[in-house]
Amino acid sequence: MVVYRCQDSLESIFTAIFRAYEEKRNHEETMLCLTDDPIFFAEDIAVSPDAEKTHRVMNTLKRRFGTDNYLSLCMALASEDQEKAQAVYRTVVSGLRRGCRQGQLFDNLADRDVHKAFALARSVSTEVGHQKQFLRFQELDNGLLYSRIGPKYDVLVFIMPHFADRLPIENFVIYDEKRSLFGIHPAQKEWYFFRGEDGDKVTVPGLSEDEMTYQELFRQFCHTITIEGRRNVQLQKGMLPLRFREYMVEFQ
Amino acid sequence: MTGGETPLMDKLQILTDAAKYDVACTSSGVDRKGNGKSIGNCVAAGICHSFSGDGRCISLLKILLTNECAFDCKYCRNRNSNDIPRATFSPEEICTLTMEFYRRNYIEGLFLSSGILRDPTFTMELICRTVWLLRNKYRFNGYVHVKAIPGADPEVIERTGFLVDRMSVNLELPTREGLHALAPNKHRKTILTPMRQIQNGILANKNEVALYRNAPKFVAGGQSTQMIVGATPESDYQIINVAEGLYQKFGLKRVFYSAFVNVTGDKCLPALPGGPPLLREHRLYQADWLLRFYGFRAEELLDEKRPFFNVLLDPKEDWAVRNLGEFPVEINRASIEQLLRVPGIGVKSAKRIVAARRNGDLSFADLKKIGVVLKRAVYFVTCSGRMMYPVKLEEDYIVRGLTDEKSRIRLGSDGMSYRQMTLFDDMDFTGPISAAERLATAVGQL
Repeated sequence: MVVYRCQDSLESIFTAIFRAYEEKRNHEETMLCLTDDPIFFAEDIAVSPDAEKTHRVMNTLKRRFGTDNYLSLCMALASEDQEKAQAVYRTVVSGLRRGCRQGQLFDNLADRDVHKAFALARSVSTEVGHQKQFLRFQELDNGLLYSRIGPKYDVLVFIMPHFADRLPIENFVIYDEKRSLFGIHPAQKEWYFFRGEDGDKVTVPGLSEDEMTYQELFRQFCHTITIEGRRNVQLQKGMLPLRFREYMVEFQ
Repeated sequence: MTGGETPLMDKLQILTDAAKYDVACTSSGVDRKGNGKSIGNCVAAGICHSFSGDGRCISLLKILLTNECAFDCKYCRNRNSNDIPRATFSPEEICTLTMEFYRRNYIEGLFLSSGILRDPTFTMELICRTVWLLRNKYRFNGYVHVKAIPGADPEVIERTGFLVDRMSVNLELPTREGLHALAPNKHRKTILTPMRQIQNGILANKNEVALYRNAPKFVAGGQSTQMIVGATPESDYQIINVAEGLYQKFGLKRVFYSAFVNVTGDKCLPALPGGPPLLREHRLYQADWLLRFYGFRAEELLDEKRPFFNVLLDPKEDWAVRNLGEFPVEINRASIEQLLRVPGIGVKSAKRIVAARRNGDLSFADLKKIGVVLKRAVYFVTCSGRMMYPVKLEEDYIVRGLTDEKSRIRLGSDGMSYRQMTLFDDMDFTGPISAAERLATAVGQL
């Protein structure tokens, strides 16, 4: 048994997958592990992330499985499950071995690892969807749009492209307060990340003159649109879980 | 921030209140990337940005341009004999609200309807001008849904069609008779004319776009309509027949059903002491899904002799129980059409089953992973020739298994036989539709 010890990052895990192939391991006897838990009678190999190897894995995955399935693998790796690396590794192995066509990587749901990777990807994808739905921007007095989010998983990388495409002419910042991560989009330019230090205090400049008016207008709208005869708070809670509400103006 | 005499806040309140009974709030059907120069894009699946206290989605800024109305439809809050505050937005106000809400990610776009100001053509022209302004001056590239006003000049409707993503003409009531009784100013013919016009416009535009890739798109998200359920005595059978006709003959994307809420207190309208007929509306949506995605025909679900949906069972369970001869279905061999007819198997899980079984026979545990609702499906499927546990293929036995005890007691039925819903008796069945159920309908896990 060979165990590749990776860090919890896409780069590190993709590098490990590359090495497993490069070093011609027997995939049935190989594991990817994110923790230091001892595994007896196994050879430990520490993996340090490598940009070139990561890129080669990315390209192969995209070419063989298609962009959608590749994105799903990335989403699975954005989850917080301890076994995600192993599940993704096994899924990739089974996909390559079967010679599966683009878009069919997750067909074999009866397989334990494929199903695991699939379920992780779905869970992260749901969170990505929720953030696209429920994230709110505030206009600051310098015209910048600012949003604070607290997502369950590290999904900022998946939501920035959506908003960059949608609001190309705006300067906007999305701040993931759980991971001290800023996604920054300068108008008409490429977006990028900025990682703050833990415990950094984020001071947000004042709001623009009209901001409170529009917040009030939207609150009014949400309130008025409710049909009293159909009131159903349970349904509302099911569709819009409570944990999002602290970030949403209409629930303030 | 004010326009005219009424402050914007009051206008928004009046014109939201006036628009809220309109059902369609989807932002789906169009996939349009941002153009890098202006605000907005569209996502095919649509995005709901919030949910109101009644659990309905808030996707679009749903407002009326004006709630002044020349018509006097008995069910409508904005009928001209109703004494309510009236207001009218200026096109600029609508554009500013849309843009500012959209930038803040409150909404996915605009839904604009209107009362009849002066006459239909004048009103349609106002709507058209507003959307033109939004697209060209404010350069809004997000989703726009407008109502085509029946009776308006076809030329204005055509022009508007090139600016919007979705258009809808409200059928209002399922039958000619119902419309005649409650909406004296509206006629079936004037409603169907613009619907046909839009359908033809979409078709012609498809050919044009095939020829010239950059030809402007006409109502790219398709057209929809809505009808009010429970204000007039039509049966569910009549309603889904109308819906089926609309899908087949008018190529509609969606038909929406709106449980009647009595807001005018007109004496021609039924009083609804138990609240709006929400369960009935829910059943109609479920049936609608069966028509569009599951290959069912209206006459399979209901017929003249049993014109109403079952209170306890959803339309698919109901069909399955009446057609036990079609079951059990063998998961590892059945065609996708057969799988789609099994209660508990939705469109997604049917596709997943077909994909997964290429790699080997599936077991019940695998079905669970795939997302099949076994609680419902167990009665109707076998895996490699075996049922999950011994099940009698017998109507009463299965009905008892599919329904829960609580609702059987509430309805005074011991579950020995299942009865049909009649027009008004679902009023005492006011159990709210749960989020899980609604979600199941939405993702098609019937």
